[in-house]
Amino acid sequence: MNAVATVSSEEPGVEPSSSLLAPDFLRRLERLKLLARRRFRGAASGSRRARAKGSSAEFADHRPYSPGDDTRRIDWNAYARLGELVMRLYVAEQDLAVTLLLDRSASLGVGTPPKIQVAKRVAAALGYLGLSQGERVGVVPFADGVARPLEPGRGRGRVGKLLRYLDQVDVDGTTDLGRAVDSFLARRPRPGLVCVLSDLLDPGGFKRPLDRLISEGHEPAIFHILDAEELEPTPGGDFALIDVERGTRVEVSLDRHALAAYRARVSAFLADVEGYARARGLSYVRVGGDVDFEDALLTYLRS
Amino acid sequence: MRLLAPVSLAWLGLVVPLVLLYVLRRRREERSVGSTLLWEAALRDLRAERPWRRLIPYLSLLLQILVLLAAAFALARPAGLGAAPSGAQVAVVIDRSASMATRTRLERAQEVARGLLGALPPGGRGMLVGAGRDALVEGALSSDQVALVRAVNALRVEGGRADLDAAVALAAERLAGAPSGSRVLLLTDGAEAGSVTVEGLAVPVEVRRVGAPADNTGLVALDVRADPSPGHPDRASLFVRLRRAAETPREVFVLASVGDALVASRRVELPARGERSLTLEADLPPDASGRAPFVSVRLTAAGGATAEPFDAQPLDDLRVAPSPGLRRLPVFLVGRRMPSVERVLRSDADVELFETTLARLAEREDDSPLDGLVIYAGELPAEAPPGDSIVVAPEQPSAFELQVGAEARGPRIVSWNEDDPRMRFVSMADVHLGMARPLRAPGARTLVETDVGPVVVAYERPSGETTFIGFDPARSDWPTQPSFVVFFRDLLERARMRRARGGVPAGGLGVPLSVPAPEGQEVTVTTPAGESLSARSRGGVALVSIGSEPGVYRVEAGGRSLAALRNLDALGEVDLQSRISLTGDGEASAHRIERAEDHRESWPWLALLGLVFVVLEAGWATRRGAA
Repeated sequence: MNAVATVSSEEPGVEPSSSLLAPDFLRRLERLKLLARRRFRGAASGSRRARAKGSSAEFADHRPYSPGDDTRRIDWNAYARLGELVMRLYVAEQDLAVTLLLDRSASLGVGTPPKIQVAKRVAAALGYLGLSQGERVGVVPFADGVARPLEPGRGRGRVGKLLRYLDQVDVDGTTDLGRAVDSFLARRPRPGLVCVLSDLLDPGGFKRPLDRLISEGHEPAIFHILDAEELEPTPGGDFALIDVERGTRVEVSLDRHALAAYRARVSAFLADVEGYARARGLSYVRVGGDVDFEDALLTYLRS
Repeated sequence: MRLLAPVSLAWLGLVVPLVLLYVLRRRREERSVGSTLLWEAALRDLRAERPWRRLIPYLSLLLQILVLLAAAFALARPAGLGAAPSGAQVAVVIDRSASMATRTRLERAQEVARGLLGALPPGGRGMLVGAGRDALVEGALSSDQVALVRAVNALRVEGGRADLDAAVALAAERLAGAPSGSRVLLLTDGAEAGSVTVEGLAVPVEVRRVGAPADNTGLVALDVRADPSPGHPDRASLFVRLRRAAETPREVFVLASVGDALVASRRVELPARGERSLTLEADLPPDASGRAPFVSVRLTAAGGATAEPFDAQPLDDLRVAPSPGLRRLPVFLVGRRMPSVERVLRSDADVELFETTLARLAEREDDSPLDGLVIYAGELPAEAPPGDSIVVAPEQPSAFELQVGAEARGPRIVSWNEDDPRMRFVSMADVHLGMARPLRAPGARTLVETDVGPVVVAYERPSGETTFIGFDPARSDWPTQPSFVVFFRDLLERARMRRARGGVPAGGLGVPLSVPAPEGQEVTVTTPAGESLSARSRGGVALVSIGSEPGVYRVEAGGRSLAALRNLDALGEVDLQSRISLTGDGEASAHRIERAEDHRESWPWLALLGLVFVVLEAGWATRRGAA
């Protein structure tokens, strides 16, 4: 049974939201495995290896026997060789906590298509994959704070709920990634994969919040949502650019010199984000512009 | 520099809205963007990269203001002095006095006049007045610029002084009632001793000087008198007077020549602002055909003849005069004898007397007119002959153009015309007439009036003149009076002068030659420089326009060879310094005589400048970045 059939048959009420995911794209996602670079402590067994030793068939290590241990896991061969009781430890498989930290600030409302649409589709794809593979997927929309989140949950049965939830997310407020991360961490979430879907156009910067996530044991994955016009403005014309979040006004004539200066700034910004991600071993995917979000997602999943 | 359309400076008012456009923010299309963070940083980079960038809007404003300035001033039509604003009328008065022949003074005046009259303002009209001995409208008030320029080009220098005051008054009178901005422009070298009224006239008068003051030396008089001696029957004395109009003395050479042959010369040291007279002795024999020669006296800087101009004013460096031999006047007595008249004629050494009759004259094979004075007594031909003649006591009811009245006994002389040159020093106060016939003719000048009518009249024709005496002098006591001799001497002198001039009336330099000739006859004139001119006779006279060159003008008219002598006859023209005074209401005017400028309107240059500014501004506008 393919994913499309699963969605349409199990969640008959999700048609409007299912437009976020093209059927062909869902079929391709079905074949991919969501990979994480670090092992996470899971609350339930899943298809992902966890750092904690557990009861799976894959040997991991030995430890001295302690009273109360499961005697079925004593390594008798080692006792024969060493004369000490040691316990066989196995890699425990646990589900991955995937948190979609979705930027819903007003800046995501601009673009063609609006960046929020792109972000939602990426979030929907990530969530669908996570749920399909038994991961715990939650959604935390944020702007200058955290809105009502979609609590983490497992199972393909949550796909419809996830899509409906995402469909209801609307843009509003200013970007404050720092406050959003603080609010998110205040809930003491289980460490896991935190997919940050944002344009990162935050006057407060993006590094400190992401560093905080890392320091709390999370692995951020950056999905940088940008519009083509932001990456390469159309030349010509005199404009008053209005910042939809802060309301600031910048008068600019889109001539050769101004565009060159802007491109230099954009390049520096992108290089800064990518460099940050590379330095910390984080995944970085830019979506929008000349990078199609589906291709970017597949690239991320194969990495 | 003046502005022909100063109202156009109102365009400068556009500077205000222009500046406002810069002061007010430019209306820009608003565009919502996710964030302006990157744009703010980019613009900071841009300003940091080019710190002078903020000047660009002001440079653009400056260029645009310069465009406005250039355009407004171009529309205001800045032009040289003398120009007239739109719709105005301008009369150009050009000095034609002899001093204007100095170097390029007249040409300069013509150049300025052409520039002005050839570029009249819209709706404007121009007029050209030549200021010579008389003020003449050479180009009537018109908007026909081609005709006005043609009139300017045809202007010539006259040999006399110019009546500038009359010319300016004439021009101002013609412009009376003209629109505002109309004016009279007098172009002169100012080398006149008189004054010009420039204030209180119907229109403003501008006086512009052409040419710079110049030093000059000139011949101011030449007279040739016979001074024969036993060994030198053709000896003559040449009386020459020179004038130095400069602050420095000068050595000059005076050369006298007949044709190309030098007959006398003298080196003369002339004092500063002084005169010298000298007498040259020369033999002036008649030429191979027996005709008396003309004497030329020339000033040169060197001892020999040279083609180089002697000084700034060429018109007074040459004078010509007839030799004394030319003064002998043939007088033909036709008809009955008049002893009293014969006695007067014989007393004149320069008269060659011939007695003849009409019949003998008719028998002549040569039908050319008699080259002398003919005196008819009693009998008359049907028509007046060419040349000068005297008719004494006509017996027919008509004599040429006159009607002869019935004989009156003892008429009393009531008046005589003392202003007529024929009556110079003649008094008829004690003259009593025994018998006389009154003479009447329209156009005749009355010389002596009696209680029965005019008894002595003069009638002038293009081909000559006739003096009529309506009584027999033998039947009066006039021959016993000195005035009788003086009267006939005046007539002889008049005929002699006319003959000495070859039958062409005297005139100044540049005055057209008036050559008597039958209707339709072609008259050819060879100028002193050898140029050939021609004209056809109309009304008995052929008017031949000549230049201002002094010398002998050879005239060929119907087989006759005549000569016309032209000299500078205005001695004040020797002084080329500007000395004219300007007056207004009888007092010295505050007007200043300024140097004449070309009527060159500057608007094309200003328009070009404006165009350059536009191009520069466009360059900045297309290259500049965010404003």
